[in-house]
Amino acid sequence: MTDPRPVPSAVTVDRRDFIRVTGAGVAGATLLTMLEARQAPAQLRGTGLRMLKWSHFVPAYDAWFDDFAKKWGDANGVKVRVDHIPHLELPARYAAEFAAGAGHDLIYFVGQILTGQYYRNLVDLSDVAEGLGKKYGAWMENAKSAGQVGGRWYGVPDFYIAIPVLWRKDLFDSVGLGAPTTWEDLRKAARLLKPKGHPTGMQFSHCNDANHNWRALMYCFGVKETDPSGQNILIDSKEMREALRFAKAIYDEGMTPEVFSWDDASDNRFLASGVGSWIHDAISAFRTTQDTNPKVFEHTYCLPEAAGPAGLRWNVGEPNVWAIWKFSKNVPAAKEFIQHIANNQKEAMEASRGYNMPFLREQYKKPMPGLGNDSKLGVLQEQDKITAFFGHPGPMTPPAQEVLTTFIVPDMFTRVARGANIEETMKWGVGEIRRIYTKHKAS
Amino acid sequence: MRPWWRTPTARRYVFGYTLLAPAILYVGLLVGIPFLFSLYLSMSDASVGDPVASFVGLQNFEAALENQAFYGALRNTLVFTIGAGILKGLLGTTLAFLLVQSFRGRRLVRALVVIPFTLPIAVSVLGWKWMFDSQFSVVNWALSRLGLIGAYGSADWPVWLGQPHLALFSVMFVNVWRGFPFSAIVLLAGMTSVAPEIIEAAKVDGANFLQRFQRIIVPMIAPILFIGTAFDTVFTLSDLSIVYLLTNGGPDGATEILPTLAYNTGIRAGALGRGAAISLFLFPLLLPAMIILLRTLRRRQY
Amino acid sequence: MPASVGSGNPRSRRTREVRRHLLVYSGLIPFLVIAVFPIFWMAITALKQEPDLYRMDVVPFWFHLPPTWKNFDFLFHRTFYVDWIVNTMSISFWVSAITLLTAVPAGYALARLRLPFAENLGIGIFMTYLVPAIILFIPLARVVSTLGLQDMWWALVAVYPTFTIPFCTWLLMGFFKTVPFEIEEAAMIDGCGQLGALLRVVLPVSWPGLITSVIFSFTLSMQDFLYSLAFVSISEQKPVPLGVATELIRGDVYFWGSLMAGALLVGVPVAIVYNLFLDKFISGITGAAVK
Repeated sequence: MTDPRPVPSAVTVDRRDFIRVTGAGVAGATLLTMLEARQAPAQLRGTGLRMLKWSHFVPAYDAWFDDFAKKWGDANGVKVRVDHIPHLELPARYAAEFAAGAGHDLIYFVGQILTGQYYRNLVDLSDVAEGLGKKYGAWMENAKSAGQVGGRWYGVPDFYIAIPVLWRKDLFDSVGLGAPTTWEDLRKAARLLKPKGHPTGMQFSHCNDANHNWRALMYCFGVKETDPSGQNILIDSKEMREALRFAKAIYDEGMTPEVFSWDDASDNRFLASGVGSWIHDAISAFRTTQDTNPKVFEHTYCLPEAAGPAGLRWNVGEPNVWAIWKFSKNVPAAKEFIQHIANNQKEAMEASRGYNMPFLREQYKKPMPGLGNDSKLGVLQEQDKITAFFGHPGPMTPPAQEVLTTFIVPDMFTRVARGANIEETMKWGVGEIRRIYTKHKAS
Repeated sequence: MRPWWRTPTARRYVFGYTLLAPAILYVGLLVGIPFLFSLYLSMSDASVGDPVASFVGLQNFEAALENQAFYGALRNTLVFTIGAGILKGLLGTTLAFLLVQSFRGRRLVRALVVIPFTLPIAVSVLGWKWMFDSQFSVVNWALSRLGLIGAYGSADWPVWLGQPHLALFSVMFVNVWRGFPFSAIVLLAGMTSVAPEIIEAAKVDGANFLQRFQRIIVPMIAPILFIGTAFDTVFTLSDLSIVYLLTNGGPDGATEILPTLAYNTGIRAGALGRGAAISLFLFPLLLPAMIILLRTLRRRQY
Repeated sequence: MPASVGSGNPRSRRTREVRRHLLVYSGLIPFLVIAVFPIFWMAITALKQEPDLYRMDVVPFWFHLPPTWKNFDFLFHRTFYVDWIVNTMSISFWVSAITLLTAVPAGYALARLRLPFAENLGIGIFMTYLVPAIILFIPLARVVSTLGLQDMWWALVAVYPTFTIPFCTWLLMGFFKTVPFEIEEAAMIDGCGQLGALLRVVLPVSWPGLITSVIFSFTLSMQDFLYSLAFVSISEQKPVPLGVATELIRGDVYFWGSLMAGALLVGVPVAIVYNLFLDKFISGITGAAVK
């Protein structure tokens, strides 16, 4: 069933508006696109390439991406087809594709980084990744955790999503507080502002944000989930107990029970409605506010991450990774495309309205596209220095993945916030984590 | 003497099994064999990306039993299924009694109450998510204006999906909301099928309403109630979508049920073997229960 | 009930009627509120402008900004909603056809032909309903791709009968039992074979049962989410529930209005069709369980 409609899927921003917004950047990049296209090998002509991505949180980015991919395809004679599904549903689809031994050529991990689960069935992309690393001033250290298994690259990191603090300057001013820099500052603000009807909130529930936010707090407090090898569990520590205690305090003083029911979208609405004094979320929340409540947006600022008691700052990002199935019928085109998008990362960042953060060092040259000229988001231009991923400082291994998807960390914080004893909670949580790691070692 | 295969009985058998064959083949090929494969998965250390799995016996089931979250999920599954079953039964029966009356606008009412059942579940659940929103809940707005609960931000503002018991009740309620019209219609069918003559005869015999209900209506609608409940229970037991879309088992496992735990372990974390074991855990319990139920049902009907 | 039913003067009868109506209506109100309010709320949401959704200071049950068709327009012009509807209809049609073609003979054979093992076979067919889809979808993915149906709505036509056949077989089994043996015998005396009797006599009187099966195939098909998610990733090939739930939510942004519009546009027409056939449907399930 062919459909003549130009819009590939749900798109909120009209293509024309979009070009007007991004203007010059696109025009410049198109020239680059044409140059790149000329280099692609001729044997790709007449082939097809199917890719599966998530539905990006900035819908305009998907519109840009689909068009970008199509243009590349047209230039190289490759019939490109891009499908999008919500990030939470990707693992089910991959399980089905793997069982079927057929599906998309080029796939994408986000939310769940399944490189460690599927690497035996993924194409070794070391040549691509190392080439890009050389070209763009080396990969960030933890890009390896997203893409490598046993020293070989089975995934090529595309970008990651930063999850900073978004705070209301007008409200902070109203209680005589300056710009926050530490978790303690944030706690104080919440304590003073909650009675005025402006509490804060971080999800104590089973959602992605809950996993990220509490991990950020943990890592800032000096908690290590495992050692750098990812083999030994180190979460049973003084620091973890401190983090739990702090979370309990900040909940009691500065939040309402609604945080127990929140999903990934709730804190966006909380900020955009003008109620929240600060939230810890990806900048899509910032954009939602910009689009729906300009008055609140005017006073909303961004802090890359708050510092813990010892001055430690770790932001927990959400990596996005390309991979190619071994059963793909068009590995050359898929590899070519990964390089093509990496070579156009600037245009991509611009299109994502500052949402996509690059993994390659050289791309942090200021001013960064989408961020550099933004008076509020400019602070994110050094995010590479403070970004960690789940499992930190260990890699995102399959057991770390299972700890993530079974929500053990958010559940520990939930229990303590609800008044459970810290020692008992530690015993439970660490026990569950141990059980998972033992299972993975055994198999 | 005719050969045995020409006897009427043999011909009936051949005819009968030929009629049965398509259904048996279809279900056997598309459920039977994959099911055996799932059984094998549940006894292997398979992960989503590793086809070379080895046999580990009952280890995955043991692993489930060592997992504290599993007990919570098991308990919630039972509470959810039984609680929702009872509520659907009660609401359905009451509604059926009302709908069996003749009154003006009966068709319209009937049309309106079946809508919950006809909406695709994945989408109507999202409607509920919106109504249960912690900040913009229309239910809370109404209750708050009526003075039954406090204002937004106060301790008396219910957070439907955030308080443990309330959250479990909320996911159960969505299941009930969707299911009770169906119970009502099934029961209505049972009631209208009781021939008026029988009821008249009972009236002549001097039976009062309660006796009529007990002796005539109940035995006649019991079989349909059973089969309806059996299908609905099985559907509820394995349905992932309500909990997955509303709470994904949170907060702190308050709404975790076996399907969500199995999905998050087996598919999202990729530990297929353990996921399969969790999802199949109730099978050995359900199987005999269903066999007994179905046999009694069939016997009764002859 | 008082013994004076049907007697007395017309006026008091009238009063009694009014009183009975009031009683029934007041009993029905809670049910109507529970069943219909969410639908009403979904409809209002679908017609509201986005900023109007997030206002808690005014009565949310009505519009404070002019109602808008924007969400419907979005659904029809910016998504593949029309394709999704066509897919859902096509899937339901073929699933119903396959279900009838397999469940009707199976139900008849199990109910009427006194086959050895009939009971166990019937139970066996029901048992397949117990197998959880969360795991089953993985081996089924292999089946779907072997059949060459991956990423086509035809994949769902192949898969959905795995749950509609068991259900409808049991439904029809009960139903066929209620058809009097005599009419079948009479037909056979008139020269029809067993098959002829089934086709010419039993089926025509069983049509409420057949309609019921079709309605069930339809609604059960609409309840699926996981299979469609696993087997169909191409936008134009999705059925409505999958399309709406996967393309109108973007992680931390929900397109509430279009979501609700998308749900209502399929749910309400189905409810209307449902109601048209409800009487037949009722006699259909009645046949199924009550002799």
